[in-house]
Amino acid sequence: MKTESKTQQLEEELLVQRLRDRATCRAAFADVIAYYSEQLYRQIRRMVPSHDDAADLLQNTFMKAWMNIENFKGTAKLSTWLHKIAINESLSFLEKERRRQNLSLDDDESGLVNAIMADEWVDGDELTRKLRVAISMLPEKQRLVFNMRYYEEMKYEQMSEILGTSVGALKASYHLAEKKIKEFFADND
Amino acid sequence: MIKPTEDILDKVNHRDGLTVPEGFFADFNARMASMLPEQEWEQARTEIVPPRSFWAKVRPYVYLAAMFLGVWCMMQMFDLMKPAARPDLSFDSNPVLAAAVSDDSFVNDYYLETFSDYELMDQMIEDGTVEDFLYADDLE
Repeated sequence: MKTESKTQQLEEELLVQRLRDRATCRAAFADVIAYYSEQLYRQIRRMVPSHDDAADLLQNTFMKAWMNIENFKGTAKLSTWLHKIAINESLSFLEKERRRQNLSLDDDESGLVNAIMADEWVDGDELTRKLRVAISMLPEKQRLVFNMRYYEEMKYEQMSEILGTSVGALKASYHLAEKKIKEFFADND
Repeated sequence: MIKPTEDILDKVNHRDGLTVPEGFFADFNARMASMLPEQEWEQARTEIVPPRSFWAKVRPYVYLAAMFLGVWCMMQMFDLMKPAARPDLSFDSNPVLAAAVSDDSFVNDYYLETFSDYELMDQMIEDGTVEDFLYADDLE
C-alpha cells in the first residue's frame, strides 16, 4: 500500500514536471485526463443524480483545469487541485439546478431521490441503492464529506486541503452523516 | 455489538454500484484530449514555426535592386529630354539651313509661295513689322 502510494506520488510529480514544460504540456494533460477521469467522474457522479450530468461536469472540470494550467503552481497536489475544481463544478451545478427548477432544499432532496431511483446506470443491489438514497438526504457539504471518506477512502488531511475545512470539523461532519444514515435505515426498515 | 450503521456500511463495503456505458472512459479521454483549445503560447509557437523560403529571403533585395534600376532609367530619360541633348536647329549651327534661308530663290520658291499675301500681312501685323514693310519704299 505504501509502495503504491509512493509510485503514485512519483507519477504525479513527473506529470507536474511535464505540465510545466510548454513543449510537453499538452501531451501531459492528455495523460492527466486518462489518469484522473475515472476517479473524478465517480466523485462528481456521487453528487449529481445522472450519468449525463456527471459526464458534462467532468468535461467542464478538465476544460477549466486546462484553461488555468498556468496558474497551477504545484504547491498543492495535482489530484487535490483537480478534485477542488470538480467539487466546485458539482456544487455550482446543483445550485443552478435548484434555482432553475425553483426548488427549496427539501424539494431538491426528493428530486435527487427520484433521480437515483430512476438512474439506469446503477448495477448495485437494493442495499447499495438505499444507501445512495440515504446519502442524498444529507446536506450537500456533509454528503461530500461522507462520499470522499466512505467511497474514496480519502484521508482527512487531503479532504481538508480540498475543502478548506479543518480535520476536526470534517471528522465531526462524517460522524454526523453516519448518524443520519443510521436514523434513515432505522426509520425505513 | 455491531452498530446498525456500521453493519450497513460494512455490508455495502464501499461499493457505489455506479456504472457507465461500455467504453465510456476510453471515448471520453480521447474526445476530451482532442477538444482542448490552443493555449496562447501554442499559438505563438505555431506562428514562428513555418520556415522562410529562399524567395521570401531574397525578395526585399530584389525589390530594392528593381527600385534603383527604375530610378536609373528615369534619370537616363530625363537626361535625354534635356535641351542640350536635342539636335541644334538654330541657323548658326546648321549651315544647310542658314544657306537655304539666305538663298532668295529658295525662300521665294519653297517658302513664300506656300503663304498668301494676306497671311504674310497678318504675320507682320502680329510681329509689329508691318509698318516697316509698308513704308520701306517711301524711305527709299
